[in-house]
Amino acid sequence: MPESNFSNPIVATDQLPTILNLEHNSLSEKYAPLNRLINLSVTLVICVIVLVVYFQPFVALPQGLHSFLPYFIWAVAFLGLLLTWFTHARDHVKSYTLRELDLHYTSGLFFRKVVSQPITRIQHIELKRGPFERKVGLARLQVFSAGGEMHTFEIPGLPVEKAQQLRQFILQHRDVVKHG
Amino acid sequence: MDNQADTSSIKNIKAMDQSHNLDQWQVLSPVAILYFGVSVFKHLFSNIIYLIPAIVVSYNSVLERPFIWLPAILLAFVLLILFAFVSFKVYRYRLTDDNIEIRSGIFSKKHLNLPFSRVQNVKIEQPIYYRFSGHACLQLDTAGSAKNEAKLVAIKLDFAQQLKTRIQSQSQHNKVDINQENTSAEPSELQSESANSQSQQEIVLNRRHLSDLVIHGITSNRIWIFLGGLAPFYNKIVDSVGEWLTDLGINLTELFSLQTHSLLEVALYALSLTMLIMLLLVSFSVIGAIISFYGYTLSKQDDKYIRRSGLFTKHEVSMSLSRLQMVVQKQDWLDVLLKRINLNFEQSNSFSKNLNSSASSSKIIVPSIKPHECQTLIDDAYPGNALNTLVSKNAFTAISKRFIFRNIVYILMPLWLIVTSVTVINDKLMLAVLASTVFLGLCGLVVLRWKRWGIARDKGFVYLRKGLIGVDYYCFPTYKLQQIQFQQNLLMKRRQLASVKFILASGSLKVPMISEELAYGLIDQGLYQVESSQKSWM
Repeated sequence: MPESNFSNPIVATDQLPTILNLEHNSLSEKYAPLNRLINLSVTLVICVIVLVVYFQPFVALPQGLHSFLPYFIWAVAFLGLLLTWFTHARDHVKSYTLRELDLHYTSGLFFRKVVSQPITRIQHIELKRGPFERKVGLARLQVFSAGGEMHTFEIPGLPVEKAQQLRQFILQHRDVVKHG
Repeated sequence: MDNQADTSSIKNIKAMDQSHNLDQWQVLSPVAILYFGVSVFKHLFSNIIYLIPAIVVSYNSVLERPFIWLPAILLAFVLLILFAFVSFKVYRYRLTDDNIEIRSGIFSKKHLNLPFSRVQNVKIEQPIYYRFSGHACLQLDTAGSAKNEAKLVAIKLDFAQQLKTRIQSQSQHNKVDINQENTSAEPSELQSESANSQSQQEIVLNRRHLSDLVIHGITSNRIWIFLGGLAPFYNKIVDSVGEWLTDLGINLTELFSLQTHSLLEVALYALSLTMLIMLLLVSFSVIGAIISFYGYTLSKQDDKYIRRSGLFTKHEVSMSLSRLQMVVQKQDWLDVLLKRINLNFEQSNSFSKNLNSSASSSKIIVPSIKPHECQTLIDDAYPGNALNTLVSKNAFTAISKRFIFRNIVYILMPLWLIVTSVTVINDKLMLAVLASTVFLGLCGLVVLRWKRWGIARDKGFVYLRKGLIGVDYYCFPTYKLQQIQFQQNLLMKRRQLASVKFILASGSLKVPMISEELAYGLIDQGLYQVESSQKSWM
């Protein structure tokens, strides 16, 4: 940026763009069903394993454990369904926003959270795809800043093309080109 | 002393020129063997904490069979020496104009190549056993992972100093190049930089005297960690101390028995005994403070802060001002009484991931300084900050009183109700009373905690106050922010409250339960400053 072009006008604080009225882009439609499916299958697998243990004729279980197992199965099934429902509800409120100079990710049903990541502070980006995500064509976008591993900015459940577009946008962003 | 150093440094420049003309792989001085030995030894001992239970269990068997254990220990010792010697043998380094290469490692070979311009931090460390031969270690930190650091293990002290200035001038150059486009935004910085290239002298900003260190030793609570570490041995210690006292003709059970003595007497004994132990522990802490901070100086050269300290191992840590992320002014309750402050200059966490002992970390601490000294230092680092006026006028915005309500009603109250009801049902009234007292005490602490919380901001900085009995002040330039989080649960939303978490390269700070409006204001302003200032965070 040549010096003559530089300008730094005073901005009144009440005219600053605010994150209060962000336009929210929701995640991929496949994201919530995928999580629902994964949760349900995990619950089912646990229940089946316990059932097998309960009915198998090979090893005699201690009496206490044997009478305890049915309750355990019910508890797992109940908690699994609860968790599935909860995750499903939670997945539907997750959203992200891309502004010209920063990224925002909103999540949380009871504990709402908005994470704002200025693009100029981004160190590097990763696209992550687990086996299930690959199956349905989803990707997670992880953005790392100097704030540390603990504070990695992550947007899950993006369609791959979208994630790649976002990544490209960030990589070609003038702030990143200059500082990164 | 200085003259001597100068002449020898001239010699060293020649030596250095030779070395980099030759561009050959250099061997360390043999003193390095000692260093390798000691570092392995230290490493073993830092891990030995996990082995302590095993050692305690097998302690008796060791005593019973010295013929097995003595040779084993001897063998370990020989292995250690062998390891140190081989480490020394395989260690090579090479310097070129603008980069350093180090080859090391016995089993897994490492070849490190580090351009000077990537160096973030230069540390010089002189362990006590190097002082006789005039050697030192030079540690170079990079912005990347902690594994990436280079350490020249045994080079002459003046050569180390030389190298340090060279490396730092190199990275400085680079920075000026990068910053060229920002010059109009920060004309003053450029001026100072160009002015300083002519005058390279160091200004001492602060010295700590022995008396200050004694105060630091007393006020710092490191001793509780020590006590915690001793916990498994309490029984043993008490037993052996008791035996020892009995040998001396003092019988503890008799001393504390209520049949032979009045309650007052016993209380006095107990009090004096506690005081004695406290005195002992405090003296340990004082010794610790003196060991790490002896001969403390904080000086400034160009835009760099340099901290030197250490009784046995002398440390020299330097940090350039632009790397400073945040200043933290810490006061424990004893500090409040004595009117002393511990000032921390915090820089990025990634430099010091596995160095957390106070002397060797690259964080710059100024121990137990007086408030006015602290203010000068902060003003020097952050001109234009208003921390002092904020503190004196108490102009921080308090957090919501709901904080007290939430913590007491939702967290403490249920616990208290459960405990008291259980004890009352079981007819243990004393316990119930005790629980209630603890509950009341905790409620008091919650109120205190609330009272300490406070936040303030101005054009360039965010200020935060928190603490419990002591009080800490955090101050950081807004443009240093890495990420901001807005947090709010349903209950808070109903009351239009929110929490804000600031994430900086040096760590995160959270302000709970401020008004929603203020939270949005902080975030919007923060983002605006980060994105509009175009200033680099490091």
